[in-house]
Amino acid sequence: MGFLLLFPLAVAAVLAVVRNSAFRRVVVYAGAIVIAVASIAFVAMHIGTYGEYYDFESEIVNIVCTIVDFLIGFIVAFLAWRYKKWMALTLACVQIALTAVFVAGGWEAMYPVAQSLYVDSLSVLMAAIIGVVGTGIGVYALGYMDDHHSAHPAIKDRRPRFFALFFVFLSAMFLIVFSNNMVWLFTGWEVTTVCSFLLIGYDQNQISVTNAFRQIVMNMLGGIAFCCALIYCGVAMKTFDYSEFISAGMVDPLLVVVPLVCLSFAGITKAAQMPFHTWLLGAMVAPTPTSALLHSSTMVKAGVFILLKMAPLYTVNFVPSVMLVLIGGITFCLCSFLAISQSNAKRVLAYSTIANLGLIVACAGVGTPEAVWAGMFLILFHAVAKSLLFMCVGTAEHHIGSRDIESMDGLFQTMPRLARYMMLGIMVMFIAPFGMLIAKWGTLVSFLDAPTPHVVLILLLAFGSGATFLFWAKWLGKLSGIAGNPDDVETTVHSSEWIGTGLMVALSILCCIAMPAISDFVVRPYIEGVWGEFLTVLSSDNLWISSICSIFVVCVLFGALGRPSKKKHVGIYLSGISADNDAHVFRNSMSGTTTASARNWYMESLFGEQAIDPVGTVVCIGIIVGAFIVGILSSQGIFIPGIPGLM
Amino acid sequence: MPFASKSPWVIHYDASSCNGCDIEVLAALCPGYDVERFGIINTGNPKHADIFLVTGSVNERNIKVVQEIYNQMVEPKVVIACGVCACSGGIFHDCYNVIGGVDQAIPVDVYAPGCAVRPEAIIDAVVQGIGILDEKSKALAAKKKGA
Amino acid sequence: MNSIISNPIFLVVIGTIGFAICAPVIGCLLAGLERKISARMQGRVGPSILQPYYDVRKLIEKDDVSVNGADGIYVSCALIFAFLAGGIFYSGQNLLLCVFVITLSVLFFIIAAYSTRSPYAEIGAHRETMQVMAYEPAVLLMAVGFYQATGTFNVGGVFFMNGPIVVPLIGVFIALAFVLTIKLRKSPFDLSYSHHGHQEIVKGITTEMSGKTLAQVEIMHWCETVLFLGWVGMFFVWGGPVFLLVGLACALVIWFLEIWIDNNFARVKWQSMLRWSWIVALVAGGINIAVLAFI
Repeated sequence: MGFLLLFPLAVAAVLAVVRNSAFRRVVVYAGAIVIAVASIAFVAMHIGTYGEYYDFESEIVNIVCTIVDFLIGFIVAFLAWRYKKWMALTLACVQIALTAVFVAGGWEAMYPVAQSLYVDSLSVLMAAIIGVVGTGIGVYALGYMDDHHSAHPAIKDRRPRFFALFFVFLSAMFLIVFSNNMVWLFTGWEVTTVCSFLLIGYDQNQISVTNAFRQIVMNMLGGIAFCCALIYCGVAMKTFDYSEFISAGMVDPLLVVVPLVCLSFAGITKAAQMPFHTWLLGAMVAPTPTSALLHSSTMVKAGVFILLKMAPLYTVNFVPSVMLVLIGGITFCLCSFLAISQSNAKRVLAYSTIANLGLIVACAGVGTPEAVWAGMFLILFHAVAKSLLFMCVGTAEHHIGSRDIESMDGLFQTMPRLARYMMLGIMVMFIAPFGMLIAKWGTLVSFLDAPTPHVVLILLLAFGSGATFLFWAKWLGKLSGIAGNPDDVETTVHSSEWIGTGLMVALSILCCIAMPAISDFVVRPYIEGVWGEFLTVLSSDNLWISSICSIFVVCVLFGALGRPSKKKHVGIYLSGISADNDAHVFRNSMSGTTTASARNWYMESLFGEQAIDPVGTVVCIGIIVGAFIVGILSSQGIFIPGIPGLM
Repeated sequence: MPFASKSPWVIHYDASSCNGCDIEVLAALCPGYDVERFGIINTGNPKHADIFLVTGSVNERNIKVVQEIYNQMVEPKVVIACGVCACSGGIFHDCYNVIGGVDQAIPVDVYAPGCAVRPEAIIDAVVQGIGILDEKSKALAAKKKGA
Repeated sequence: MNSIISNPIFLVVIGTIGFAICAPVIGCLLAGLERKISARMQGRVGPSILQPYYDVRKLIEKDDVSVNGADGIYVSCALIFAFLAGGIFYSGQNLLLCVFVITLSVLFFIIAAYSTRSPYAEIGAHRETMQVMAYEPAVLLMAVGFYQATGTFNVGGVFFMNGPIVVPLIGVFIALAFVLTIKLRKSPFDLSYSHHGHQEIVKGITTEMSGKTLAQVEIMHWCETVLFLGWVGMFFVWGGPVFLLVGLACALVIWFLEIWIDNNFARVKWQSMLRWSWIVALVAGGINIAVLAFI
């Protein structure tokens, strides 16, 4: 475990100073392989664990963490000052001040955490995702960044820093999933914030700087909330032990309501829920590996990770539970609607990420064992499928010159392998028998099975799912087009990009097929470890049926399709007036020629950003403000809202 | 046993008719004659159709259209020339741009003359066409078996 | 031996095989009857009841042609998953899984049309996708309501009820009945392709399909009809197998109503379809589910 935490830092340190790109390639490959193998070994060692806590206490780490916290504050403050972003500067100053208050309070020394590190099955799952998916993206980035710089010569080559940040990011994520010490957790949290800030701003042009600062402002709010939670823990709860925090909360819900609301808020900002979804959309300006990393294995997953971790608390704490359930549900539904109106592939992916994170957040808010079961599967499948999709879109962009879905028309022929990969990724994201939908199924069941069913959530899920079908199916359809014999432009794809995407394809297929096993050996131990009992959400028979169907669909996609057909070829119907049938050109009434083309539906008037975005933003801000007010009141015993689960 | 005769789906194309025959073709397809009794359905799609009903003569402008629709129909298929213009060019036979009857463009199986062609004549022609369709269907099946 | 017979996967396999044999036969007869009834409603004699069978046999006899070689594979997948969905339903297994598998089937059908890149087929595919979006909430709410009423997602659960579940689930049933018109491809919601003569987009989603591929589409449509009428019948079955007859009778009444609607309404625009199916699902289905949740 220590290896997983420290080794990426060492790789990062080497990469930061390496200027030679051949050597960098070797280091990245080696680092990625070592981390991936180490995390797989780690998973193998701890599979099925019910949670192990290690007696580990280190004054040095505490000091390092404090220094890092300050350092981050100053870095952000400095950059904000340089780019004259006063909002970010103010928040950075507030954060530095809060950190100073925290240090001045001396609580950390007063209430040391005896068992600072731990492993349970949720962190095993996360470690596998970070270690394998994260490093896979790292390998992919090698080839991608070559193309990125040759396509945009104006951008200064800062690749040493890019790859260094990449590995620091992984290390910080490991810190988040392994620390039981909330102060260390906070440090990991802030490191991911600032790493993604720097990665988003990589290109350092106007648009990426603006979006990087949007990210940092929103996540600093979360960081400040987290910091407030820490100070509250120091003052009122006298512990920084995460597991103690949770068990104390189970005993006396009112004691933790304020820090819990703060931490939930931090989770929401990081998981880019409405109204903070704009930072993740803005982050699309970054090079695609960054997007893939932020969306799949790191950053946003840190947000949902801490929320899922605290799931038991939400079953006894009404206010934060309602906040998460409503914000998650509304975000899922509205962002699925918004995804319909987008033709930019990366924005569709971004909205879909936000929507799915909304589901996970809602699962955490429901907080029952079934909901956590569903949430863990959503995390897993979302990580593999979304990283696959981002990589595919990135590669396609470099070869067809566009990230617009309409330009991917006929990709099935121009980039046959990539198109199949992308189609698989899309199918894993939204359709049975693949993982994401099975997880959604679990979500629906858990919402129904909650002590009182979450009717609002079920309705949001039902309508959001309809929209989900539309935006994925129309993209999938565009990819599948076959017409004429266009050139195969796939031959120039970097081998490192094939390794990255191929790895994700293998993982997606493996996870879908092995779903019953994952449920038994990874998810179930976590649930049993936390609740002491396990309820079957979906019977293993249903999981096996899905698994068999997945194999069938994969065989069709990679086996049967695209084989030369024995059937006679005929042209498409163009009302009898085709001029060039393969190219869809027909003779018009003026004896000239016109090309027939069909664009997908985007329904701007119904699902456009102008129509939906403000609604979601206003409603969600209202919910958050309300949750804070009621949370603070109830912690003072002034106003204690009714029993949990009424929603 | 060929089933082609039991469900002849038709497509109707107006080459350069004066519309008289078109009205009669559509009249034959209306509930009054109820050709669906015989399984006849009017499809607008050559890929689904078995019988091609052409009205009017073929000219320079539409010969390619007639040919393309014919080529996109799936074997076995039958062409019926409806009305005297479709049979021979009719009163338009010496117009500057008229090529002649439909048989100048594609092979015609049944000729149904008349100006305009009567619905009864069309139905009669279709019934004859069905017989030819059956034979073609048998020939295709034999060819498939042989291949 | 007993454990094998009661094994759900075994039941699904048997159910799927049984469905793949029986549903096309029943569906074919229903389709024939439907054309006969429609004809009578229009004052015509109409074709023989076996007409759909003749049509499909003829299509199978046609030459094998394809615009891209892939659409036939997609349609075959769609048909296989339609069989599976029916098998899951009629073997009394999980209703939600049935819903998801039939959605997968529709997805394959949509991709088949998209893959041709024909303008008409593509517009048909767009509309079909829109139709799925329109009916999906109501269908999901049906499964949710079913669970609330019976305490299980297993279709077989209705036999342990003391009365038909349509009583507590009347709102959900209305929502389902409303979208049934879309699922059965009936006017006014036959946007993506219509069984009637002419449509503004040629034959919509099936424009480029011919011969055996089109025959499979027809068979799939029969199977879907049998499956969806099963969903309807499920609302009226309780107690024991005897009440299956009640379910059957009610399903046939609803089916007759659908034919009547088909013959009496003109096709609407997609905006109306989406708006109304969502409003009905939200109001009727949503209120029903909320009431069940809080009682």
